[in-house]
Amino acid sequence: MASPTGAAGPPGRILVLLDGSRLSRAALAAAADIAGREGREVLGVFVEEDNLLRSAAYPFTREVGGTSGERRPMDRILLEQRLRRLAERARSALTELEAQRGFPCDLSVIRGHVVDEVLALARPQDLLVLGRSGWSEAIGMRLGSTARGLMHQAPGVVLLWCETRKPVQRVVVLLNDHDDANERALLAAQSVCRHRQQPVTVVVPAGDGLTASKLADLKAATAVFGKGCRLRQLASMGAATVARVLREEGASQLVISRQSALFCQPGIEPLLLALNLPVTVTP
Amino acid sequence: MPLPVPLTEAQVYHRCPPEVLSFATTESLDDLELPCGQERVLRALEFGAGMSAAGFNLFVLGPSGVGKHDLVNRFLTRHAAQQTVPSDWCYVLNFQQAEKPRVLAFPAGQGRSFRQDMADLASELRTSVPATFESEEYQARLQELQEEVSQHQQEGLSAIQQEANDNNIAMITTPTGFTFAPMRRNGEVIDPDDYQKLSDDERTLIESKVEDLEKKLQQSIQQIPKLRKEVRERVRSLNEEMVQLTLGAPMGELRERWSHLPEVIRYLDAVQEDVVEHAELFRDNEHGPPKALLARYDINLLVDNADTRGAPVVYEDLPSHQHLTGQIEHHARQGTLYTDFTLIRGGSIHRANGGYLIIDARRILTQPLAWESLKRVLLSSELRIESLERLYGLMSTVSLQPEPIPVSVKVVLLGDRMLYYLLSHYDPDFLELFKVEADFADDLERREDGYLLYARMVATIARSLGTRPVQRDAVARLIEHGSRMADDQRKVSAHDRVIRDLLSEADHWAGTEGAHTMDASHVQRAIDEREYRASRVRELSREQITRGIVMIATKGHAIALVNGLSVLQLGASRFGQPTRISATARPGKGQVVDIEREAKLGGPIHSKAVMILSRFLASRYAGEGELSLSASVAFEQSYGGVEGDSASVAETCVLLSAIARIPLRQSYAVTGSMNQHGDVQAVGGVNEKIEGFFDVCREAGVVDGQGVLLPASNVEHLMLRADVREAVADGRFRIYPISHIDQAIALLTDLPAGAPDADGVFPEGSVNAAVAERLSRFVAISKAQDDEAKPSEPGGENDHG
Repeated sequence: MASPTGAAGPPGRILVLLDGSRLSRAALAAAADIAGREGREVLGVFVEEDNLLRSAAYPFTREVGGTSGERRPMDRILLEQRLRRLAERARSALTELEAQRGFPCDLSVIRGHVVDEVLALARPQDLLVLGRSGWSEAIGMRLGSTARGLMHQAPGVVLLWCETRKPVQRVVVLLNDHDDANERALLAAQSVCRHRQQPVTVVVPAGDGLTASKLADLKAATAVFGKGCRLRQLASMGAATVARVLREEGASQLVISRQSALFCQPGIEPLLLALNLPVTVTP
Repeated sequence: MPLPVPLTEAQVYHRCPPEVLSFATTESLDDLELPCGQERVLRALEFGAGMSAAGFNLFVLGPSGVGKHDLVNRFLTRHAAQQTVPSDWCYVLNFQQAEKPRVLAFPAGQGRSFRQDMADLASELRTSVPATFESEEYQARLQELQEEVSQHQQEGLSAIQQEANDNNIAMITTPTGFTFAPMRRNGEVIDPDDYQKLSDDERTLIESKVEDLEKKLQQSIQQIPKLRKEVRERVRSLNEEMVQLTLGAPMGELRERWSHLPEVIRYLDAVQEDVVEHAELFRDNEHGPPKALLARYDINLLVDNADTRGAPVVYEDLPSHQHLTGQIEHHARQGTLYTDFTLIRGGSIHRANGGYLIIDARRILTQPLAWESLKRVLLSSELRIESLERLYGLMSTVSLQPEPIPVSVKVVLLGDRMLYYLLSHYDPDFLELFKVEADFADDLERREDGYLLYARMVATIARSLGTRPVQRDAVARLIEHGSRMADDQRKVSAHDRVIRDLLSEADHWAGTEGAHTMDASHVQRAIDEREYRASRVRELSREQITRGIVMIATKGHAIALVNGLSVLQLGASRFGQPTRISATARPGKGQVVDIEREAKLGGPIHSKAVMILSRFLASRYAGEGELSLSASVAFEQSYGGVEGDSASVAETCVLLSAIARIPLRQSYAVTGSMNQHGDVQAVGGVNEKIEGFFDVCREAGVVDGQGVLLPASNVEHLMLRADVREAVADGRFRIYPISHIDQAIALLTDLPAGAPDADGVFPEGSVNAAVAERLSRFVAISKAQDDEAKPSEPGGENDHG
């Protein structure tokens, strides 16, 4: 039996990437909600980026302000102090969360390359939660390099979090012809919508592969979502078609498998850039 | 001079024989549309109501109770019905200056339609504008816009990143920005120690490239605000375009419908601009557009004449500043007061605009500053709604200043004459603004050919009150009572209220008897009951006379005492009562002391009357000689003050009695004023005076031989009570009409007054001879006293000179 997050075995920890940015704080709040519902441990991960520290050691490097564009000299000692302060804040937030909500919280502060260190820490059953972009969100980046790296490489489920002003509406699950991947995606969707009683739209590629029996199985599998569940068959699973369907359905969250053909296409990134909504990527 | 003959019963009462009335009851009579006998007022109203020039407002003056309000209201309602219905007035938001709401005028009844149209438009906006924003087309275009800019931004950053990568330079995100550092091919930043091992040329190249990239990034980041502004502007343009398209059809329909009113078209243009300007608010709200946004397009229909027929006739019963000119109300929200154009409330001038406004003059003058506000409106011909506190600078918080409304209203003020004359005298604007004076007649001419009209007036009132029909004998009694109210045999009172009250009361008494119609006995009972209800003070006064506490003699003779007659007014009732007047006389310097005046109990008219009689005595009895007299006159047991000249005949008689020591008949009472030649002049309240003395005589014993001397010119004012008339008919009570003082002297003394001969000598045995003789003696005594005094006071006269 797969866990609600889609990975085999008992539910693992929730790993939250914390870097002190606005979206990482929002991601922690989302992780806390899931941990509260599912009784899971939260592990905050704060990575002191090696490349950043090294760059600060150069006498000629400057920091270009993300808002003002002004160039200022960098100082490694000051940078380290700043990172320590951010880590300390992350720790305080987790301690407060543990005291308030009751589930165990911890913080791991690591020095190295973010993607490598997280991949080293994460287990297949762990849920990885991170902001869709980090500090670069301030200049309008909708998908940061860390998110881009981890959504492809993480061993388990990844939740790319963002804040949206949209009301809570449908969860849209994109399926393909990979049965196991579909099962994991549906389980993840079930976990997402269970708490808020959100309706679900399941999108499947229409074609020769979708036989009557497969369709019947799919309908049986989606019965858990209740009467409000919609099943849509799409002739094309291209990024533009999917984007239109997501808008039509008023999607407030997307669930997609890493095995999905769309995910493997180069079009996934433009799609994610275009849609400002949380995305759950399942194995 | 011949003595007057006592009046007959027919002379003291003008009967109205029921036979002259040619109907059985008022049921058969038609209503009277306008009251009879008020031609002057009706002509003034006709003129004033039809006169369109400025300042020809009306002041209807007359005593209270004559039915001013009823008549004016009936007249104006009939007159206004022929006129056109005035405009509707609305206040709408001024989109440029919200604190100065705009006003719109509509032909009567169309204001309501426009309000409905705007409500429909708001409803349309509520659904169609958000629907437009949710449409696929809008979303797609918005997405395109945002994508375009976002892509531009991302492309800029990606290009820099790519350039950095191509040059083996890492672009690294920091908590507050970006930095660049040399890296290996695997993306790892080169350790600074290893970097030092590179050649100088390589390092120079790298550092130069880093600086170049930093500059490019700086430029790119600094363009972001501009890009964001650009996207905002483009989104705004898109929103405007979409709203314009959405509004196109409904607005076009409205424009076509209201094309006959250019002001309304201008307002609709402003509405469209405002909706476009607030397109963001229509889009951004999850629960539809905010109520406050749609409320901007509300219509405050201040004056709705949809149901008005003809010109409006409005009566303002509480003419305060706010009730007249309208006010701006406020909503209290969490302790703070808010207002907007929808809270502007119209006043009675708004409602009467284009028609007539009836106001009670006394009431408007007693309301703080209401009179000034009304004048301001009439002088400027426009109506501004301003609170009193703002008008007089007591409040400085921001409030509304609605656009003024042009006013064309005819104001009809109702008030008593005193107010009219006071306003004319003291208010310089008054005659400028109220040029038409409509003066109500207090009394109507009583003519036999007018009885039927009067009866129809009674019938109209009876029907309006819903009373029983009035029999003709009751109408006759009402006519007689009307004459009594008017104190004149040739008039009837025009006081509508008195007839109404009397009819209501008579109807009540008829009801207690189970009668189906009112007859004379019911009217008489109503009169008697009213008299009785008001009789407490009168009875107390009479009781004091009967018990001898207040001394009044009704028989015998007495020197220097006479019965005068006075009238007391208490509220709506008045009654007469006799007062004993006494006098003293002794030698002196020709002065008559008015004791009432000395004690500050006498009024100026009474003082004047005493001075007149003093001069009469001097000229008649002293002639060219010297008058030696020191006399005094007093109203005995009078403590409440004396005013008027109606006692001057009595005072003259009592003084002559005191001088000549001739007794006066106490069974007669005297009333009448006198001039310096001894002619007797008319006085007021003769009916009450006669009845008052009659009652005192009756209560003192049997009425037999008593009477009253009154001015002959007052005879036609007599409308005496039935019991007095009966005594007059039997000769038990006599009423003498006198025209000269000598007649009074003769009647009171039973002696001839005596007319002087060519030498000015009065005949022997006459009262005047006795008076002249006694005054001669006073002169002799005075001279003797002066002679005695001279030696001891040499030059005294000069000293006083």
